Amino acid sequence: MTTWHADTMLLSSYASGALDQARAYSLEAHLLACDRCRADVVGVSDQEQLDRIWAEVTEAVDAPRPGVVERGLVRLGVRDHLARLLAATPSLRLSWLGAEALALGFAVLAANAAVTEGGRELGMFVFLVVAALLPVGGVAVAYGPGMDPTYEVSLASPMRSFGLLMTRAAAVLGTSTVLACLAALALPGLDWAAVAWLLPSLGLTSASLALATRLRPLVAAGSVTFVWVTVALVAAYRGDDRFVIFRGGGQAAFLVVIALSAFVIARRREAFEQGVTE
Amino acid sequence: MGTRQEEPRADDDLLGEVASGDRGALRVLYERHVPWLVLRLSRRCADPGLVEEVVQDTFVAVWKGAKRYRGQGEVAAWIWGIGIRRLIDRLRRHPAPIPVAAHSRELMTSAEEQVLIGIEYGDLGEAFNRLSPELRAVMQATVLDGLTTKEAARLLGIPQGTVKTRLMRARAELREVLA
Repeated sequence: MTTWHADTMLLSSYASGALDQARAYSLEAHLLACDRCRADVVGVSDQEQLDRIWAEVTEAVDAPRPGVVERGLVRLGVRDHLARLLAATPSLRLSWLGAEALALGFAVLAANAAVTEGGRELGMFVFLVVAALLPVGGVAVAYGPGMDPTYEVSLASPMRSFGLLMTRAAAVLGTSTVLACLAALALPGLDWAAVAWLLPSLGLTSASLALATRLRPLVAAGSVTFVWVTVALVAAYRGDDRFVIFRGGGQAAFLVVIALSAFVIARRREAFEQGVTE
Repeated sequence: MGTRQEEPRADDDLLGEVASGDRGALRVLYERHVPWLVLRLSRRCADPGLVEEVVQDTFVAVWKGAKRYRGQGEVAAWIWGIGIRRLIDRLRRHPAPIPVAAHSRELMTSAEEQVLIGIEYGDLGEAFNRLSPELRAVMQATVLDGLTTKEAARLLGIPQGTVKTRLMRARAELREVLA
């Protein structure tokens, strides 16, 4: 240990910024190694400022650690408030994504396990119907009372619920599309049919959002699901082409559905701001 | 410090307790190290708000990263390493002016004071003070703060090549004065 120590004069002129550079540097080098002089610096410090910083430190230390999804989003460059809102989306939670993956997995298994040509076709049909429905369910549980943990907060927040809903819907649509695309890679006889659910899934999602301006989100999604499954089954068993709703005519019909839904959503978007009535 | 006869705990012991989640140990470390850290950072960044944020970041990093302290060297030097790098990170995002107070006030130091400094610190201190502010800034960042030329360039907001040439010129000037 050294016998040289800084006196109060030196410390206070250092603290005020008046000390010349050479002496300031030698003092700084000394402070790194001398706890006695470090303790003396307290005398020339602004205690109020130090208390204020400490309060901020404890606040940051006590803050709950963000979840995996939120931290991932922030790392991808999403701003932190948006990341938290997205991570709070029930259908972006890992449990929901896991359930989606499971549903797709079963559909793919069914398609692969079928031995006969007809069975394989049936498996593919089931996969397409399920894949198109995934984002409908995901978006339905992404907002609304009883589902969204931030529902009350977001109603009262200065951010428009509509904007939040659209952001979440896009995020859910994105993740379920990626999942379904991955699952499609595992289908037997990979061809155009493996992506034929893309337009239908967008159409069904927008239709359920449009309906949700009148009905509760889950009811809207349930109705869309019911209609979709019914239409798909009826179309499949009436003609000799099982995939008729996934071909040109069906795809064109979905384009019309998307356009109509977008129109309704834009017209009635205030419905999302007032909160869904029970 | 108080008059208690209790043996004060060493910094590295405290850091070990911080690593196992002891908030009290963090508080003691904070009280010991935050005063000089605030002052030292303030001499490198003229925005007090930014300095406060950097100090806050630094102690949050100490809390989270206490496990990474390997027990080599002074704890103070370890904390300084975190602090100066946090400052550089912040400055990269929001450039802030480098303090000029020290330079301008120096011009007003009296002749007697200059002589006293000369006596107290010899030729080196005087030679150092005579360097232009630009040259001193790179000496400070690289030699005294222990930054790489890349980090110094970021801190001072100048290209890396400029840091290198200024460092060479500063060395040459000092050598000339001391020869």
